[in-house]
Amino acid sequence: MSDVKSFDARILLEGARIVAVRVDEDLVVREVVGDWCEVSVGEDVRDTVPALIGMEDELLQELPYIQLPFVSLGMSHEQPVAISVQRDWKTQSLWILLRDVSEEASVQERLVHQHNALSLAHRELAAARDAALTADKAKTRFLANVSHELRTPLNVVIGGASILRKPREKPLPTEDVVTFSNDIHDSGVLLLQLVDDLIDLSRAETGNLTIHEEWCNPSVIIDEMIRLSRGLPEAKGVEIVYEPCAKAPELFADPRRVKQILLNLLSNAVKVCDPGSRIQVETEVLESGDFKITVRDNGPGMSPADLAIALEPFGQPNAETRSRGTGLGLAIVARLADLHQAKFDIATKLGEGLAASTSFPVERLSSNAG
Amino acid sequence: MKAHKVIVIGDFGVGKTSLIRRYVLDVFSDQYRATLGVHLYKHSDIVPIDGTEQQVKLVLWDIEGAPLPGEQMMRYSLGASGAIVVGDLTRPDMIEPMRRAADMIEARLPGRPIGFAFNKHDIAPAPDDSNIAALKDRYGALITCTSAKTGDAVPNLFRDLTARIIGGKGGAV
Repeated sequence: MSDVKSFDARILLEGARIVAVRVDEDLVVREVVGDWCEVSVGEDVRDTVPALIGMEDELLQELPYIQLPFVSLGMSHEQPVAISVQRDWKTQSLWILLRDVSEEASVQERLVHQHNALSLAHRELAAARDAALTADKAKTRFLANVSHELRTPLNVVIGGASILRKPREKPLPTEDVVTFSNDIHDSGVLLLQLVDDLIDLSRAETGNLTIHEEWCNPSVIIDEMIRLSRGLPEAKGVEIVYEPCAKAPELFADPRRVKQILLNLLSNAVKVCDPGSRIQVETEVLESGDFKITVRDNGPGMSPADLAIALEPFGQPNAETRSRGTGLGLAIVARLADLHQAKFDIATKLGEGLAASTSFPVERLSSNAG
Repeated sequence: MKAHKVIVIGDFGVGKTSLIRRYVLDVFSDQYRATLGVHLYKHSDIVPIDGTEQQVKLVLWDIEGAPLPGEQMMRYSLGASGAIVVGDLTRPDMIEPMRRAADMIEARLPGRPIGFAFNKHDIAPAPDDSNIAALKDRYGALITCTSAKTGDAVPNLFRDLTARIIGGKGGAV
């Protein structure tokens, strides 16, 4: 016998697109009022309303509190329903009310979608803004560094030249003239190197740094760069040796840029090495077939924090070597390696020296490697 | 056979629906469509539990995303046997919302197993080891880097969580 006896109640339920399902303590359907969704008497209500799975304990409470505003089956995209549970105190019957909320859902879904899309767009914009601010700060810092690095050698040039051109009764001693002239020359060379490095870095950042590849012999390049490095003033008393692998391959690369990579790494090494130190240049064909050139020194090495600074443009963690380079070397080496699809890597620990390696991919090697 | 309710929660747009649809239907769509309320997926699977393969039935609750768990998420979580908290590896601030969701699970469903899914691993690296260790220590949870796009690690995430649910290993494993 129906617990919903009132005709008005039936009309009300159907008008509101509600199906009322009476279930027993085993959650078997005993009565269905309303017909817009298919629930059959005698079946387990959880078969038709799987949202009730797991809620058995709550359903058997005296005052079950289950209010699920929008539930639909994801696989079939059925119309969403609102599910609520009521206990009729007169009869102790448990009623599950299923209300068709498809109209509200279509509006609500559009709102949620728009809200989420806007929020995601807002997050992306905020991230882009943060990235732009960071880039702007980096640019400002870069310009400040450039100005500083240009001013230091320019001051030496202007100061030295001012002393040399100053009218005086007695001429300057010859050794002073030589000293000031050397300072002006060295500062000019440093300025030229800085400008060249800046141009390279700027080209790399804008994607305009190009390479002109040809087959070249890395051993010849390494020998040449070692000879050049031995002539650096800081290299006095530093031993630089080359330990080639058994059969170094030919390399398809831009020889000028490979020289630039090696010279940067070698000049960095000699700057930090004391007289009596040793720098090794090693070559190796890796198991993968890649060709690795390593410049290894037994200098002071770097902590991970210092290494991160050194890899940034103008990053010079060691103040003692600050005046002896532009601080752009490693940044340029990393970009030149990229242009050759080579992997640039630095292995170092504080107090244990540093090994900077560039691994050229096997595709750039002649087949006689091994 | 008893079916187990597993809820999948997290911020919107992190890939909850995509993970479930990859697991249940083995499909993926790049088109973002917000979930309203909850979408239910019934799924049967065979899961290795304590050394034997067992047939299991799951009802997966794909719950509307929100940055922080609210009243609605709590209502939907009622009676769940386990939960998967999904985060988006491309978002730098993903960990805190995941913690808050896991805190809600612990409070509402004490002892139920939790799985953390770091999604979109196809385009972003895994979180730091320290973050993973902290989540493991705090929640004893399963932690998996997933890609709903490629399907990488997705079935195992659901199966491992199911094994914990049925094997009786709760949150603090």
